Amino acid sequence: MRIPSYDDLTPSIPDVLPNEVLASAEAVLRQTGFQEPSNQSPIAVAAAGLPPEGGSHPSEVGVASGFSRKAAGGVRLLSEVVDRSPRELYAALHDNGAIDRLVAIARDFSPRIERHPGGSVVLDVSGLTRLLGDAASIADHLARAGAARVGIAPTQTTALLLARAYEGVHVAVDDAAAALCNVPLGVLQQLVEDREAAAVRPRPVRGFDVLGRWGLTTLGELAALPADALSARLGAEGSRLQRLAGGGDPRPLVPDPGVRRFIESCELEWPIELLEPLSFVFARLLDPLAEALERADRGAIALHLQLRLTDRTVYPRTLALPVPMRDPRVLRTLLLLDLESHPPAAAIDVVTIEADPAPGRVVQYSLLERPVPSPETLATLMARLGALVGETRCGSPEILDTHQSDGWALAPVAFDDRLRAIDGTTTGPASMPSSMALRRFRPPVAVRVTVERGRPGRVAIDRRGMPGGPVQEAAGPWRSSGGWWQSVRWNRDEWDVAFEGGAVCRLFQDRETGQWFVEGVYD
Amino acid sequence: MTAARAEIESLLRARRLDVTLTTAAAWRGTDEDRIAATGCHEVDVALGGGVRRGHLSEVIGPRSAGHSALFVRMAAAAAARGEVVALIDTHDRFDPLSAQAAGLDLARVLWIRETGNADRALKAMNLVLQAGGFGVVALDLVDVSAPALRQFPHTTWMRIARVIEGSVTVAVLLASEHVARSPGGVTMALDRPSAHAAEEWAGTTARDRRLRGLTIRPRVVSARR
Repeated sequence: MRIPSYDDLTPSIPDVLPNEVLASAEAVLRQTGFQEPSNQSPIAVAAAGLPPEGGSHPSEVGVASGFSRKAAGGVRLLSEVVDRSPRELYAALHDNGAIDRLVAIARDFSPRIERHPGGSVVLDVSGLTRLLGDAASIADHLARAGAARVGIAPTQTTALLLARAYEGVHVAVDDAAAALCNVPLGVLQQLVEDREAAAVRPRPVRGFDVLGRWGLTTLGELAALPADALSARLGAEGSRLQRLAGGGDPRPLVPDPGVRRFIESCELEWPIELLEPLSFVFARLLDPLAEALERADRGAIALHLQLRLTDRTVYPRTLALPVPMRDPRVLRTLLLLDLESHPPAAAIDVVTIEADPAPGRVVQYSLLERPVPSPETLATLMARLGALVGETRCGSPEILDTHQSDGWALAPVAFDDRLRAIDGTTTGPASMPSSMALRRFRPPVAVRVTVERGRPGRVAIDRRGMPGGPVQEAAGPWRSSGGWWQSVRWNRDEWDVAFEGGAVCRLFQDRETGQWFVEGVYD
Repeated sequence: MTAARAEIESLLRARRLDVTLTTAAAWRGTDEDRIAATGCHEVDVALGGGVRRGHLSEVIGPRSAGHSALFVRMAAAAAARGEVVALIDTHDRFDPLSAQAAGLDLARVLWIRETGNADRALKAMNLVLQAGGFGVVALDLVDVSAPALRQFPHTTWMRIARVIEGSVTVAVLLASEHVARSPGGVTMALDRPSAHAAEEWAGTTARDRRLRGLTIRPRVVSARR
């Protein structure tokens, strides 16, 4: 089974209930005459555990030892609004702050958390045994952190049901089925209805009416029914309900990636006009930002700088970084270099820096490979070079897929560790021996050529220091043309000529204008 | 006296303080960490394996003598070793197509294109050297006029030599005449015959005449061997 990576995952359950559910719930509140409470707090927390049947093997999910073998698949926790009392219903609908606090509590324990409908939060607490002790101890820690109901169980569904059924802390890591045996059937009904209400395409749940007519009252009774007979009478829904009654999970935990903003802002007492004092402000903002990124195991893939100026305008700058990085000194240097190239129009009043987080880099260095500049070093170097010579005038050359004479482009520098075999072939117009390199004149220099017997006999050039004079040797012509379907087109005859002084050049004659040019010198 | 001098020099070398020694005492290092092969057999033979890392060397010679070809070979050899290369191109003369045809992995090349401002090119070289991590860093000054070259104070080159001292970087100046080198660096002088070399051209008639290739005639002026 493939375990999805943290960043591949997206929340499959919406955080906001559908509008019709909200409307009906608010109608219920109005009917009961419920008044908006003045203060809300997190209501309940529960915990649950093992992956679904046929799901991840304990070794695949990296579960620590400490629990029983059955519980070793991972222990998860959730918070749950259990009773649908008007106060709690209002809390579930309106008090996002309580849910956020509950999520914050859960995130303090594990990065693998998932929000469930009705304000539930499930989190994977596998691996916490070495830090916090056994499952009961973990549950106590959660309760002390502010969770009102905590349940720990081998599966998510078991934990959800236990949390809805029992007050306080409930731990069942050894035998989930036994723990659920006496749970009322109505708890499962509430859980299923909550899930269906939050689903994109909700399905009607009719099986519980039939189960009620059969006289079933607990989950143990439902789980004890013969599976084939139940399926024959209730269809797929019967099998699904029985699996849930046994604590089976319909799907694995899908961690919520969370949307956390890494942002720092500073309002200055006096406007800043120069870069030097601004660097201290950057340091003050970037140090805590880098610390927060490090705590979250993240790096900044882009920096958004917003400068509010004294002329009441906002000057935004966005700095795309080649790799996630969080070294505050590097980030400060890059920001300063960027502002050096693009200075604001007025003095600065407020500085705001926001970092786009990305998973941190894991780099394995080798003693056997040649060191190359680190991405941080390279980014700083390119920023400095860009400020010195221009951003478009430094990079790695890339050969374009064209037969044009000077067909290349500059790409951003990204040195990797892979060695590539270069076959020495080129798509250029005149493939030359490997012992030669051309020194190109950009743009080509116009010359006057005396043609003798169809070949260049003498080259006259007005520019000082350029090769010219009687031609000793000439080879050619090589005809080249292309690009007639676009604005950049060429049609020319190329010659290789050697002068008396020893210089060897490449000439070409534009066949449309008849003008001769020196394209470069072989060197 | 000779023995005492040799002992002092050996002590200096043991402490890596030998960069200012001018004697041609034998330096037997063949380690790739201290020598970078140029990829040109004649030059490597003359230098005893290659150019010393951590020193400033130069390639000088007239037009079409093979500065660019020698640099491309050095860069290709460095890239093949897994190193990265930087070229500060003062007059924007580098031709990526011919370099790739010579076997250079362009993905391992940082090309800085200047528009003729030698001062700025020198600053760019300084930035690259200070960043570190490059195997070969070349500054192309071939088309810079001699008076402009002489305007650089000698301390400029001493400072550059100081920056790369002890590093794995080979700094190379490409120029038409002697500019500078560090005490451990070499000057690779490329000669160009006044008349064209017959072996460079193939074909017996005017119609099948073609340029076969340029002959590089290197001459090591100062090698610490």
